[in-house]
Amino acid sequence: MLTSQNRLRGDLERWIAKGWVTPGGAEAIRAELAARRGPGLAGTLAVLAAVLLGFSAMSFVAANWQGLSKLMRLLLLGAGLWGAYGLAVALAARGLQRFAEAAVLAGVAIFGASIMLISQMYHIEGNPPEAVLLWALGALLAGVLLRSVTALTAAAGLALLWSAWMMTLGGSVHFAFLPLWAAIALAFHWLGAASGLHISLATLAGWLITGVVALAIDRGIYTGYTTHCAVLSLIGTAGVVGAAMVADRMPRLRAAAAVAAGYASLVAFWGLWMLQLLEPRADLVRLIVLAAITLAMLVALVAWGWRSGQRALVWLGYAGFSIEILFLYFRTLGTLLNTSLFFLVASLIVTCLAALALRLHRHGQSTPETRP
Amino acid sequence: MIDLRKRIWGAAAAVALAQTLALGWIVVDRIQLLRKGQEIVLPVEPVDPRSLFRGDYVILSLPVRRIPGSVPGERGNLKRGEALYVTLERNAAGDWAPAAAGREPPKGEPSRDRVVLKARMHFVSGTAKDLDVRYGLESYFVPEGKGKELEKLVGKRQVQVMVAVDRNGNSAIKGLVIDGKRIYDEPLI
Repeated sequence: MLTSQNRLRGDLERWIAKGWVTPGGAEAIRAELAARRGPGLAGTLAVLAAVLLGFSAMSFVAANWQGLSKLMRLLLLGAGLWGAYGLAVALAARGLQRFAEAAVLAGVAIFGASIMLISQMYHIEGNPPEAVLLWALGALLAGVLLRSVTALTAAAGLALLWSAWMMTLGGSVHFAFLPLWAAIALAFHWLGAASGLHISLATLAGWLITGVVALAIDRGIYTGYTTHCAVLSLIGTAGVVGAAMVADRMPRLRAAAAVAAGYASLVAFWGLWMLQLLEPRADLVRLIVLAAITLAMLVALVAWGWRSGQRALVWLGYAGFSIEILFLYFRTLGTLLNTSLFFLVASLIVTCLAALALRLHRHGQSTPETRP
Repeated sequence: MIDLRKRIWGAAAAVALAQTLALGWIVVDRIQLLRKGQEIVLPVEPVDPRSLFRGDYVILSLPVRRIPGSVPGERGNLKRGEALYVTLERNAAGDWAPAAAGREPPKGEPSRDRVVLKARMHFVSGTAKDLDVRYGLESYFVPEGKGKELEKLVGKRQVQVMVAVDRNGNSAIKGLVIDGKRIYDEPLI
């Protein structure tokens, strides 16, 4: 947040020089930035304080302190819950939005601590993820009724925790996550929160990846993983292709599509990497095919990032490319003959891809208006 | 960002109320179960203290969690975590033992010597297809530092857990019984 403001300050100088922004207008922009900076830091600290308060409430519960009766402990947390939401409204009324967000987060945390206290009081072992689901629903409610992005973020994280836990316990894909996820994503959209797109897509990608990892562990690492990882890759690839099509046809959604493509490619490459990592060493041909597909897809991602002017996608592609090459380097250190053969093939592929990347790079330079 | 709208006080109250009601509902549900449910007493095997989110607790290992292959009921294709209804019957010696297990609640009324408990499938073992289930009665939360104390007791004496069961098979821990004496009797709230 601070860095983007600093960059804007630098940009302002240039824009005044170019005559795009009047000196008066620049002054007004600077004044607003300055006003935003102070409370921004204070607000961030307030959110951290709320997180600390939440952990304090949870360890208070965990201590199972006998100095207060169960009823008194429950009433104490109940008072904390009402106090937090009351404080949030009072702070919002004073225009201290981020402080109010922090108070809402404290309320959500106390709600979670209360669930834990009750399940401790009555020795409810049950199905622990269900407690997390209730917590997530409470956070979602707070996010919607109080229009709080922080509470919705907590809801998204808790929903993922719930579903990941269910999948780890059950060893099967937990589709019940999707309606809850959709409700949270819709709430983000309704609030018009810019960070909502990132959080929604990140939790969805996290869910897909956790699901496949849980399945792979349940079915046995070296036997049952192949189909699941391949499906994961296909879902991710379909996501990238879908995002590219949306970006081409609907320019208004181009930025959102690029974000979606970023997370979808993460899913796709995760699947491909799992396939390569878990591949028994003997099947070299399959490994080469997988590596070639991975590298080709990474180059395609970089190319599209350049063409559409999405710098983040270019960096994602470069990072993935480096990881893949590094992985191949370590992975092929088996027998010397295999290593030699593998590097020959890999080097040919990489040379071709490098030539292709160079051409795309030149293409990008020849059309400066589309450069990122 | 929180919007300062006309009804924000109402909205905050609604959030707090809904969350309080959700918490209250669990408490009332438990109190009902503990007060009205049928009381059964089950033996417990040695336990060890562990620490988790909710603080120190001891694991209660219930012998009735093992359902021998000879007990009639569901065996094939049971998934981990799946709900099972286990019928417990009291024998002449006064001990409860599994008499049937199935996906659906069994017909017939519970009696003094026959209760149905909802359980979750854990795993199947052996060629005899013995089932291992969890009743949700396996954790007993204790004040910080008390776990070891309780563990010592359990090693030497006969420990039992007192359980309340309702007509739908829901169960809750009422307290621990050591050498026939009720200790750690749980107040309702």
